Amino acid sequence: MDVNKVEILLIEDNMNDAELAIRAFKKGNINNTLVHLKDGAQALEFLYGTGKFEGRDTTNKPKVILLDLKMPKMDGLEVLTHIKAHELTKAIPVVVLTSSKEHPDIERAYSLGANSYIVKPVELDEFTKVVTDLGFYWLLKNQSPV
Amino acid sequence: MTNKIENQHFLKQEVKITTALKLSEEALEALDEANKEIAIKLSRAVKELSLQNEEINNRAAELILANKELAFQNDQKDKRAAELVIANLELAYQNEEKEKRAAELVIANKELSFQKGEKKKRAVELYDSNKEVDELEKRVKERTEDLESFSYSVSHDLRTPLRAINGYAQMLSEDYEAVLDAEGKRWLGEVRNNAKKMGVLIDDLLTFSRLGRKAIVKSKVDMNALAETVMSEINQSMTHHAEIRFNNLFPATGDFSLLKLVMTNLLYNAIKYSSKKEKPIIEISSVRKNGTLIYCVKDNGAGFDMQYAHKLFGVFQRLHSVEEFSGTGVGLAIVHRIINKHGGKVWAKGKEGEGADFFFSLACNEAEIVENNMFKLN
Repeated sequence: MDVNKVEILLIEDNMNDAELAIRAFKKGNINNTLVHLKDGAQALEFLYGTGKFEGRDTTNKPKVILLDLKMPKMDGLEVLTHIKAHELTKAIPVVVLTSSKEHPDIERAYSLGANSYIVKPVELDEFTKVVTDLGFYWLLKNQSPV
Repeated sequence: MTNKIENQHFLKQEVKITTALKLSEEALEALDEANKEIAIKLSRAVKELSLQNEEINNRAAELILANKELAFQNDQKDKRAAELVIANLELAYQNEEKEKRAAELVIANKELSFQKGEKKKRAVELYDSNKEVDELEKRVKERTEDLESFSYSVSHDLRTPLRAINGYAQMLSEDYEAVLDAEGKRWLGEVRNNAKKMGVLIDDLLTFSRLGRKAIVKSKVDMNALAETVMSEINQSMTHHAEIRFNNLFPATGDFSLLKLVMTNLLYNAIKYSSKKEKPIIEISSVRKNGTLIYCVKDNGAGFDMQYAHKLFGVFQRLHSVEEFSGTGVGLAIVHRIINKHGGKVWAKGKEGEGADFFFSLACNEAEIVENNMFKLN
């Protein structure tokens, strides 16, 4: 994994969901460099070039961050708070991923500055479509601030 | 000589006659005078008499009237006397009743003072049981909240492994189809089918548990527009179709999104259970009855046996096998819960093989109050 090259940053503790998402990107012919990290603490170290990622070129920012809400240690909302509060990262679009549209944190996610909120569908076809749609939008259509 | 004497005698006679005549004339005159006087007196007397007669007649007439009046008054007196007799009898009766009442009152007072004592006892008991009820209500509320957050998190957390089961099964069928024989492919299909069913079940459970937490926001709802919207949404998602008839449905007062869920579930069921009929027809109607609005969704589908009608609205209760008609058994439980939350009732009538009528009622007195709050569709 070339940690300096990143276009999609996937922060997801569930390996199955991560694998399905990665496969969905491939299926949708979105071959942008994807970095998958398993928890919020790691994600922040990656973004700010600290700890395990000491020395990483932090000017190389992802075009989009896919952030799972439910994670051990530091959950998605905490990660989101950090990203949106930090000068270096606040302009990066963050797409929040969750298992249920009933999530009570949906409003908090938006008020913390989430750019989009995606419910992971149970059906793989739908999941693939959602992931490729959002990849297409944030990577190709959206005029990136970076 | 004789002559002379005779003459003399004659003369004397004449003087006598003349005198007599004169006398009689005078007497006659006097008589006449007297007669005149008598006539005047007589006429006066007659006049006086006739006056008196008239007076007597008048008095007689007055007497007749007075007699009549007297007779009438006597009559009235008799009547009054008779009435008085009756009134006296009545009074005597009432006095008797009064005495009876007084006796009864004494008994009633005794009873009352006894009841007062009982009331006090009951009040104490009521206070105790109210405390108990409050305690129970508090515990029920806590349990309900626990249950709701439990079913919410169960539903939520179940989706994650389900997504993996479904996802990997599909990946397997996509990437390793060539390796699998027909039986292997069928088994994989079963895995995916069941994962799909479980997904629907979880979604239904989520909807059901969310209803307990969601506050009702009431507004005036145009039920015709609502039925129209639901119909077009269902048409897009269902493979079966039916002729759906409705017109001039009364507007309802309720939570728009919840009433939409009610209509969606009822129409979805009606279409599903009439899908095996050659000409499925669904009718939506509404009536006003005793201050409530009653809506009915009627189909000519599979119907149901009325002896199981009480099971229709329970969670996970089904009257048909999944092979016969798909479903999770949550839809009508959702309908029941929503209408209950609105203070209304749900019920159904049906006959096996002939169709079913599903009814729900809503209070209609508020319909006019929130006129300005009319829900706008499109």
